[in-house]
Order: sequence, then structure tokens, then C-alpha cells
Amino acid sequence: MSEIGTSIPNVTVRGPEVPRNIQALDPVFNVSGLSVFYGDYAAVRGVDMVIGNREITAMIGPSGCGKSTVLRCFNRMNDLIPGARAAGKITYHGEDLYGDHVDPIEVRRRIGMVFQKPNPFPKSIYDNIAYGPRVNGRKKGMDGIVEEALTKAALWDEVKDKLKQNALSLSGGQQQRLCIARAIAVRPEVILMDEPCSALDPIATTKIEDLMQELSRDYTIVIVTHNMQQAARVSDRTAFFTAEVDDSGVRHGRLVEYDETSRIFTNPSDKRTEDYITGRFG
Amino acid sequence: MASTSKATVPGGPSLGRSRPRYGELIIKVILVLAAAVSVATTIGIVAALLEPTIEFFGTVSVVEFFTSIEWGPLFSPPSFGVLPIVVATLLVTIIAMIVAIPLGLAAAIYLSEYAKPRVRKIIKPVLEVLAGIPTVVFGFFALTFVTPLLRDFLPFTLDYRNALSGGLVVGVMIIPTVASLAEDAMSAVPNSLREGAYALASSRMIVSLRVVLPAALSGIIAAIILAFSRAIGETMIVVIATGGRSIFTMNPAREMDTMASFIARAGSGDVPVGSIEYKTIFAVGALLFIMTFLMNYVSAKVVRRYREAYE
Ligand SMILES: Nc1ncnc2c1ncn2[C@@H]1O[C@H](COP(=O)(O)OP(=O)(O)OP(=O)(O)O)[C@@H](O)[C@H]1O
Ligand SMILES: [Mg+2]
Repeated sequence: MSEIGTSIPNVTVRGPEVPRNIQALDPVFNVSGLSVFYGDYAAVRGVDMVIGNREITAMIGPSGCGKSTVLRCFNRMNDLIPGARAAGKITYHGEDLYGDHVDPIEVRRRIGMVFQKPNPFPKSIYDNIAYGPRVNGRKKGMDGIVEEALTKAALWDEVKDKLKQNALSLSGGQQQRLCIARAIAVRPEVILMDEPCSALDPIATTKIEDLMQELSRDYTIVIVTHNMQQAARVSDRTAFFTAEVDDSGVRHGRLVEYDETSRIFTNPSDKRTEDYITGRFG
Repeated sequence: MASTSKATVPGGPSLGRSRPRYGELIIKVILVLAAAVSVATTIGIVAALLEPTIEFFGTVSVVEFFTSIEWGPLFSPPSFGVLPIVVATLLVTIIAMIVAIPLGLAAAIYLSEYAKPRVRKIIKPVLEVLAGIPTVVFGFFALTFVTPLLRDFLPFTLDYRNALSGGLVVGVMIIPTVASLAEDAMSAVPNSLREGAYALASSRMIVSLRVVLPAALSGIIAAIILAFSRAIGETMIVVIATGGRSIFTMNPAREMDTMASFIARAGSGDVPVGSIEYKTIFAVGALLFIMTFLMNYVSAKVVRRYREAYE
């Protein structure tokens, strides 16, 4: 990020090149007044945002401001952390995601996730992809599902001759695309990605970014990233989070600004956003 | 390398060691000695078993030993068919494993994947204490509690001492070993694998069985092998609850003599050193050793074949 000077960085923004009417927001998630607690500690407070259908939404901000925490609310992964609790409201297609009747497993069937560090199972490439469909009760046509998922994840040509090989024998970038394929194989509607490229080299990163563009035709994607060029390149909307210290000296994450990516990167309305994207922020 | 290590950084001191590290050396010697003691003990045991065993087979034919179904080396005339006590040993061991593997693994899965951290912190040490109960206590538990209970509930008659209650209680005895070691192996599976599985819409049970269990397989098999070795060599419980009469039968309701209980009984009697009875004890000991060793060897192969190594 050293090339970022004091002026607004000269980055390509996805918005103009993609012929779509970004204003007509078709909401998938509607977040209002979301606060997330780990025990008594409020990691993020008062988040309001709307995630649009088949858009790529980026979440940026300094470390510890609660990006992952918010992202993990969208598929209720925080349920798995003892003591974690969400307050406020998130709806998914109008349905309360945290409603009493909601089955988190069903939620995760519709909303997949890719993690920062590639985490393929220590099984064969084939079994990695087939895992999700299998545990969700699919028995027939597995070969087709595996091929389709790997093709969509732009990995098929590289692995089609070694599907029986252990997935851990792949390179880091291939492993991450395998994890994306694994998520796709469940046929979700939304894919959440938490810093999916931070463990990858620039070439592998480019591949994943291209892949995200490709996937956004069929999927809604929410991505957390520390790489602002990446957010600018791939996303339609960007949410800028930061951490604020309250009166008693405790840090809480906050959503500062949420807008179309082109606006955030060329004409942010909040001073803190501008400071952050121009590199004036720690 | 020695000559290049003399090179000095311009203006700095030599990269060579400034003074010898005696502490390091002493520690290394101590560690090597500790390792040597355990290896030497094993070699010593094998050596001690070997000579009387070879002498034994000078008197008794290998064919008789392995094919005859009459076991009575302390009787006159003596008979040396080892099969009855081998079968009894395997019977008790299998019953024990049937009890210990499912219950031990279920406990391990519960502790590692289901229990809240607070619950686990309490139960884990309790399990480890259970693993330390003297087996003589289990033996009397089998004889005075389990057998009468089984006699009340089972539709067939049980001998006063029998393989069934001995096997069941040996199984109970080794549950904590299986549970505790398997739990260690499962807890060591990285959380990233669990998260990956949950994110693919897996239930807790599926994560445990399809992801954590296979990834922890080598540790789990190690736990089972250790439990098996304890079961096959278990003496006290069997001496007390399973008995000493050796008849060739597969019926677990009968009284029978296992290899370990034979050794204990014969060894604690007044068998003259150097007599054939004395050598028999060593021959049976050697066979028991080989059986345990084979089991270890085979399972190591199995693990290499099926485990899903996560590193
Ligand atoms: N499992 C947890 N238990 C307790 N506190 C947590 C937990 N996970 C995160 N936190 C806290 O919540 C706050 C937000 O963390 P989070 O991981 O969401 O930040 P982030 O924006 O994703 O940071 P990074 O960019 O470093 O990944 C931090 O103060 C963190 O210490
Ligand atoms: Mg994070």
C-alpha cells in the first residue's frame, strides 16, 4: 500500500465498467442496529447496512474493528463461539435470521463461507467437493456436481487428472479455489469470504478476484479485505468500519460509511474514511 | 564449513560460539540415558523370555503346543495345548473391546465436540482418576456385583467365575484410557477444519464423525491399541472373576483360564526353577508378547492406510 500518497489513490473502480444499475438495490440481507457481543464485550455496535442481490460487497477497516465478527453473523457462524451473541436485527429475504424457528444449518446451506486461511479437509480433492452435497443428503450425480463446482471455481483444468489426490498437495491458491468450489457445491445463494486472498501471492490473488467477478453473476458475495485496491477492483459497495474508544476506554467496532465503491474511493463523505483510504490512518 | 565459520562480520565479533555450553551437553546425556533405559528394559525382557522359551520347545513339540486343545501343564500327566488359554484370552479381550471402544469413543466425542469447556475441565480429570483405580478393585466388583447381576438377568446359566463378567469389567476398566487419549487426539484437530465443515451446513454429529474422527484417527487407534494391550494382558480382574479351570470353549458363560491369569497363578505357586512347568510360563509369556506386538504392527499399517493427516 506504499504507493498510496496523500491524495485519493488512482485505483480502478469496478462500478463504471459493469453495466448494471447499482441504485436499484434488491436486498438480500437487511442489517439494522446490529451489535455483537463476546461475553460482556461489545465487539461491534449499531451496524446498519443492506446487502444487495448479486452484488459484491466489501468490508474494509483497520484490524480489530469487527469485520469478521459482522461477516460471521450472516451465516450464524458466531453461534459456535461460546458466549458470542448478536443483538439487533438481520433479515435474509425478509426473514429474521436469528428468529426462534431458524435452523442455523439451513442458514449455512444457503449462505456459504470461505476463510482466510485455506482449510481443505485432509481428504481427496473429489471428497472435499462432494462433502457438502453428501452431508446435505445428495447421493446421485456426484461426478457432475464435482465437475461443475470445480469448473465454476476455475480449478477444473488444473485438477481434473488428479481428483483422487489429497487436497493438501495443492498450492495455497489452488487450495483456496478448492474451498470456493467446495462452498459452491452446496449451491448456496450467498458466499461470504473473510480475507480470502491474504495468504496468497499476487497471481493467485488475481485469479481469485477474477473468479469473484465471474461468480457475482450468480451469487451474492460479501468479502472482508485489508487490500483496498482489491475492494476497489472487485466490489460494488464498500463498508468502512473502524474501532472507536468509548468513555471508559473500551474499543468498539463501528460502521463509519457504507456506499457505492466508486463513491467511497473517490468522494467519501466521512473524514475518517478518506484518511483510511489515503493511508493517513494507522 | 569449519573454515568459513571463522569469518568475522566486518567490525563485529566472530560468529563462533563464545564459550562451550556444558549445560546443554549434560541435559543431552541425561535424555539419551533415559531413552536407553526403556530400550534396554524391553531388550532385557525379550532376552529373558527367549532362553526358557527355546528350552521349552526342546521338550514340547511346536505342533502339540499350537494344535492340541488340552491345557494342563501343572497336571500329571501334563498337557501343553495352548489354544484353550489363547481362545479365553481373546474372548475376554474382545468382550472388553466391544464395551470399551464404543463407550470410550462416545465419551471422547462428547468431551471434545459437545461439552462446554467448563464441563470438560471437570470431567477430564475425573476420567483420569478412574483410569487409576487398582484392578483388584475391579476384579471384586466383577465377581461380587456384575456376575450376580448377570445371573439375575440373563436367560442362561453362568459359572460362578466366567469370561463374560471378567470381559465386561475389563472393558469398563479401559474406557477411561480410550476416552482420555481419544479426546486428546480429537481436541488436537485444528479448529479451521471444524469451521470449514460447519460452514458447509454440517450438524455437530457429522462434523464429529466425518471430519474430526478421521483427522484424529491415528491418535484414536493409538488409544485403542493401548487399551487392547492392557486388556489382553489384564491379570487381576481375570484371575478373580474369570477363573482358573481351563476348558476349551468359546462360551463366555464358562469359567476359563487366560494366558495372563495362567502366568499369575503358575508364577505365584511353587514351581521349581528350570522345570518344564517353569519354562511353560515363559513360553506363554513370549506368545502373549508376540500377540501384542503383532497387534501393534498391524494397526500401525492400518493407520497409515486410512488416516487423514491434517499436516
Ligand atoms: N472469539 C472471540 N472471543 C472474544 N473476542 C473476540 C473473538 N473474536 C473476535 N473478538 C474481538 O472482537 C473484536 C473484533 O474482532 P474481529 O475479528 O471481528 O476483527 P476484524 O475486523 O476481523 O480484524 P482483522 O482485520 O484483524 O481480522 C476484536 O477486539 C477481537 O478481539
Ligand atoms: Mg478478521
